[in-house]
Amino acid sequence: MTTSKTPPAVGPGGEHVADGQAELARTEGETPGVEAEMFELPPELAIDTDIARQVIGQFIRGQLRQAGFERAVVGLSGGIDSALVAYLVAEAIGADRLLCVLMPYRSSSPASREDAQEVVRRLGAASELVDISPMVDGYFGGQPDASPLRRGNFMARQRMAVLYDHSVTWGGLVVGTGNKTESLIGYTTLFGDSASAFNPIGDLYKSQVRQVAAAIGVPATIIRKAPSADLWPGQTDEGEAGFTYPVLDRLLFWRVDRRRTDDEMAGLGFDPEMVRKVDRLIATSEFKRQVPPIAKLGPRTTGIDYLYPRRRPGSARG
Amino acid sequence: MQTLTIALAQIAPRLGLLDENLARHHELIEDARGRGAGLVVFPELGLTGYLLQDLAAEVAMRLDDPRLGELAAAADGLSAVVSFVEESADHRLFIAAALLEEGRIRHVHRKLFLPTYGLFDERRFFAAGDLLRATPSRLGPGLGIAICEDFWHLTVPQLLALDGAQILINVSSSPGRDLAATNEVGLGTATSWRTLMRTYAQLTTSVVVFCNRVGVDESISFWGGSEVIAPSGQPLFVAPMFQEGLFTVEVPLGDLRRERLTLPLLRDERPELQVRELSRIVAERAGLAPDSTADDMAEAGLDVAPGDAVREPIGFRPGARR
Repeated sequence: MTTSKTPPAVGPGGEHVADGQAELARTEGETPGVEAEMFELPPELAIDTDIARQVIGQFIRGQLRQAGFERAVVGLSGGIDSALVAYLVAEAIGADRLLCVLMPYRSSSPASREDAQEVVRRLGAASELVDISPMVDGYFGGQPDASPLRRGNFMARQRMAVLYDHSVTWGGLVVGTGNKTESLIGYTTLFGDSASAFNPIGDLYKSQVRQVAAAIGVPATIIRKAPSADLWPGQTDEGEAGFTYPVLDRLLFWRVDRRRTDDEMAGLGFDPEMVRKVDRLIATSEFKRQVPPIAKLGPRTTGIDYLYPRRRPGSARG
Repeated sequence: MQTLTIALAQIAPRLGLLDENLARHHELIEDARGRGAGLVVFPELGLTGYLLQDLAAEVAMRLDDPRLGELAAAADGLSAVVSFVEESADHRLFIAAALLEEGRIRHVHRKLFLPTYGLFDERRFFAAGDLLRATPSRLGPGLGIAICEDFWHLTVPQLLALDGAQILINVSSSPGRDLAATNEVGLGTATSWRTLMRTYAQLTTSVVVFCNRVGVDESISFWGGSEVIAPSGQPLFVAPMFQEGLFTVEVPLGDLRRERLTLPLLRDERPELQVRELSRIVAERAGLAPDSTADDMAEAGLDVAPGDAVREPIGFRPGARR
């Protein structure tokens, strides 16, 4: 098994954000119609959303220009990550150059589809609905016992295939929608949801995704609802795994970005057992964050001693 | 003294596209001239883009490259600082910044400190320069040119000032990172740089000119925020972050004299003290002299003892310890 969408087994630890460490985000009138206190934002994860939007906007425009594209494709699930990416792309290049692709399976939540459609409506972007049920059922038809893991991974890869096909028909690059939290703990499907031409939010923790989403005007219902892989009715990331995103994000921030040791993590109030489990999730998913290694044989090997920028001169389409 | 108009070319170079970047330099030199600039400054690797990797050898230029000659000719009548990959006659690649004056290359600075840590990998692709010199200029006050990481080493601005520079110019390709809400400007990199620039201007009582690029190479975004700092440490101008443009700043050069008379820090520097102490430290680090300031059980060349576990130093000992 080289991929898994296995929910991360993170122990409970909600108590660590208590004692005034976390605060509730307020929109301060930036987002009309969105009420205050939409989500919990650990203070050390708070970012200047104006600067984040400037950097990301410049990044999106740069990536497209250097590749010779003017348009983009985003798979919209109805969740906050893909909604935020759609808003960021629309802000960077204009909604008229964005195609949103909705790819529900027959068991997907109707509420998710409505949320995705609301994003499309608000942005005024082009959209397409592709029901992936026949593709998935065609493959698993003779295998009624196929596990949710296999089905989930397969669905993620079918969606990837659909997006890349639309990359051709729309003439746009596929924009990634994975966040830093799920990437670090490996809550992704290799060559599925993790596949993209570039990813504007891959260095934002879930809490920061929420913060930018609130600032840019993603509908409040999407920001408020519990994150879910939507592989079966009622599934939620946090319900399955027993963590909350603010706790996990804080843990990852101190451990990864701020390089805190075991003792220092304990001093910050993190449960050592939870730290150990998260460490293991990070280590076991390292392969998902890297390109596959190539056996070194010749004088110059791509990725080892043949090193060119991805967007080198002459690389642009046309 | 007169007023000097400095033009900061806060551009977004195209990665590896030398011809396009040359054309942009020609345009902006003319633009700067039209706006009365005496000095126009372009960012680090403005002619090539930053994240070159194996492209570095493909965009490298010798100092006698006609394209640099044409640029120097175009800049005649003003002073221009431009930056590119220089290939030396012995085929080393340097990150270089050249001062163009009176139709020729008047001075070349080769980046001394090549960051190779974190997101940087410069030492893999480039050779480090070995010379640091201030340069006289048609502008009057001497110039000190440095490149990006050079200014993360205290000695560089100080040596340039002691060598006669009154205007310190740093050209950069600084990637923006460490986004936070707690910093002065929401970007850790910008906060750090601004602290350094103000400190150097004040401690060297010099004008500090910082030209940083914008745009994107691969994953990294350059934050701009170019600035000019008065010899008092007060900013005269701060360019917007992430925004391309040619920004002109009026710099009253009389401030240099006023500040240096009021605050004679440079007059009071003790270079001979530094030479003595640095000679001692260099000899001690090389194991050529007993280390008068090291822990008792420290290895030759190291100041700190390994701890309780080791009773006796291992290997070479230069002589008796205190």
